[in-house]
Amino acid sequence: MSTTTSPGEKNILVSIEGLSFRYPDSQRPAVKDVSLEIGEGEVVLLAGQSGCGKSTLLRCVNGLIPHMYPGDYRGSVSVGGLKVAETPMSMLSQRVGLLFQNPENQIFMFSVERDVAFGLQNLSVPREEMRSRVDEAMRLLGVSDLALRAPHELSDGQKQRTALAGVMAMRPRLIILDEPTSLLDPKTALEVVSLIERLNRELGITFIVVEHRLELLIPIADRLVVMDGGSKVMDGVPRDVLADARVEAYGVSVPPISRLYNALSKEGVRLPKVPETPEEMAEELNGL
Amino acid sequence: MFWLTGGFVFKRVVSPFNKLDPRVRLLVALEFFVLSLLASTISAVALVLLAILLVAAVAKSLRRIGRTVAFSGLFAVFIFAVNLLFGLGLLVAILYSFRFLAIVSSTSVFFVTTSPDELEQIMKWMRVPRDVVFAFVTAVRFIPVVMLDAFQIMDAQKSRGLEFEKGSIVRRVRNLIPILIPLVVNSVIRSGELAEAMESRAYGSTPKPTSLYGMRLMWYDVAVVVGSLLLSSAATLYIYHLVSFQV
Amino acid sequence: MTALSDVSLTVAKGETIAIVGENGAGKTTLVRHANGLLKPTKGSVLVDGVDTRKTTTATLSRKVGIAFQNPDHQLFSESVESEVSFALRNFGFAEDLVSRRLDWALNFFGLEQYRKSSPLVLSGGEKKRLTLACILAWDPDVVVLDEPTVGQDSIQKEKLAQIFRMLKSTGKTIIIVSHDVEFLWPIQPRLVVMSSGKVVADGEISKIMADRGLLEAARVTQPQLLRLYSELRSRPPSPFLDVDDARDWVSGSRARQEAR
Repeated sequence: MSTTTSPGEKNILVSIEGLSFRYPDSQRPAVKDVSLEIGEGEVVLLAGQSGCGKSTLLRCVNGLIPHMYPGDYRGSVSVGGLKVAETPMSMLSQRVGLLFQNPENQIFMFSVERDVAFGLQNLSVPREEMRSRVDEAMRLLGVSDLALRAPHELSDGQKQRTALAGVMAMRPRLIILDEPTSLLDPKTALEVVSLIERLNRELGITFIVVEHRLELLIPIADRLVVMDGGSKVMDGVPRDVLADARVEAYGVSVPPISRLYNALSKEGVRLPKVPETPEEMAEELNGL
Repeated sequence: MFWLTGGFVFKRVVSPFNKLDPRVRLLVALEFFVLSLLASTISAVALVLLAILLVAAVAKSLRRIGRTVAFSGLFAVFIFAVNLLFGLGLLVAILYSFRFLAIVSSTSVFFVTTSPDELEQIMKWMRVPRDVVFAFVTAVRFIPVVMLDAFQIMDAQKSRGLEFEKGSIVRRVRNLIPILIPLVVNSVIRSGELAEAMESRAYGSTPKPTSLYGMRLMWYDVAVVVGSLLLSSAATLYIYHLVSFQV
Repeated sequence: MTALSDVSLTVAKGETIAIVGENGAGKTTLVRHANGLLKPTKGSVLVDGVDTRKTTTATLSRKVGIAFQNPDHQLFSESVESEVSFALRNFGFAEDLVSRRLDWALNFFGLEQYRKSSPLVLSGGEKKRLTLACILAWDPDVVVLDEPTVGQDSIQKEKLAQIFRMLKSTGKTIIIVSHDVEFLWPIQPRLVVMSSGKVVADGEISKIMADRGLLEAARVTQPQLLRLYSELRSRPPSPFLDVDDARDWVSGSRARQEAR
């Protein structure tokens, strides 16, 4: 949660203007005319049903589109002043990191520390600097004592943290996570979320998270952006977006508390504030 | 299965042998390998085998390697029988089976003590192309994962009434299709995800990536290289009766 | 290392039970015993009176259908049609019965339009429905769902809930392994909580879920509506089962308040 500057004052880190992208073997664009600005230090939650274009949008921001996935690309995406379509992945990967859903398939090396070093090796970082950056990243993610472990000796949560350490070693300003908790159990998911919150708070890293389990992320998200059919359809403060009845129609898994708030509003029962947690709602209901 | 493969899977152990530079370990294993082939008498091969097992003990991996040797003993017996059948004589048959055991154990000593990361370093040092090295390391890294996949696929198909044990050879081979196709499909999907993750971490930006660890020969490495080469040369000369020792 | 320790569990015909617990607690290991994929090292597993060690998985699967978590671990045929018929043929169904069950399954799961398509081109949600169709086609008495809601969006989850209601109404015995407490809560199944290979709780879901200490130790989260219910000062005798329930009560109690 960014606390010091108001949205208007923030530096714009990500600027997406009129972005449309169609995969070569597809008739319809996966992303249609999307415009979005993300300020430095923000935590943005991206939601929408399967096929709405969120995964495509993420890949347009980190550069996989168009560098790895060429196609019909219109509009522009800039991160930290760099135009994504015109900047090579070697530079982009030092500004934007991408963490994937399956912890298993993003760890390549046979030990944690060598995997964390992977990106740095590709950037020809000299050994001494590499060592200190790897140690730093492992410390931040709490995997230092797992440094020599092999991936198959790690739990899912540990794998996810290792992958995140590998991304952090590149010192990005923006980290994108594509459904990072969907294969984790709820407690481990909560740990990953608190990790995100800490990195955001302590290091000012900007986050974009695609997630179905909204209730996990809402407490730390500054913004909720909803996509449907490739377009951006809702964008605002999570409380407000969830209070808007349209959100359920877009196939977003609205948490029960938010659904209850909407249902009560329909009945004419207005709560003073849109609650983000059951405890908040209970407080308000008790006060009525 | 475990007994056979156990001797070729790396196990993290602290031992004098493991401390050596991986290239030196490779050299020692190669020396044993070559000596096993050159040794022309049963006693010579037996000595080589003994030497290998001694090194295995120093590497604190005697049990693992011993198990694999014992298991390969079955193949050795097979070789023995085949040789006898072809009328090559009892002594030759014994020689060949022992030689087989020595070859297996010399390779085993190398692989048990060398991690895939060190294998990667050796390959880089040998100037193997970056992509080949990466493909190799990734393949090894995913062996346990693919095996797990295979078991889960078998479970899913067994739960749909598929029976592996029954039927003719033809039927049993056909029954592998519901296992192989998902396995292949999963591997393809996995490769796609890996490719995305690799790209996202700048893979391919340079033909010469740096690395976290380097290899540096220490005094003990040099000592072992020199010592082992001397011993191997002496052994070779002895084998070919170019020099005789009062033994 | 024992994956399961001294587990005793009886499931009655037509019952719905949910097994919860963190990853690695032993839930999947436990349900793999239901059709003989795993056999116990100590103790026994009886399915309809038959000891699983005395028969094969193929025979047991006829009665107990397990829907595994990952559809990509199962789908392999050239067409959806042959995929659904696969198990039916393995179990030795007569051809006309195969075709009738196939028609029913494709129809019920809304997959008729994909009959001749390759299963591999379906979307994630459709693949999940296809794996369920494959299993329900042979009409097992017991249906085991292993993490049915992982990675699903709200629309797909709603479809799953519908399928579940249908299964329940046809009297099937249902075992759901899940850590999605929000999905489980409205269903109100008998709840079994597992932790480190042991069963640490077994009984009414509302009672067990109200025990914060137990849930904390087993690393299970509480459903939001239950959390809300426990913090309310005035509340109905039993917790809200779903959003409509809660809404009705809150607006009802406002009306009562105003009436005073």
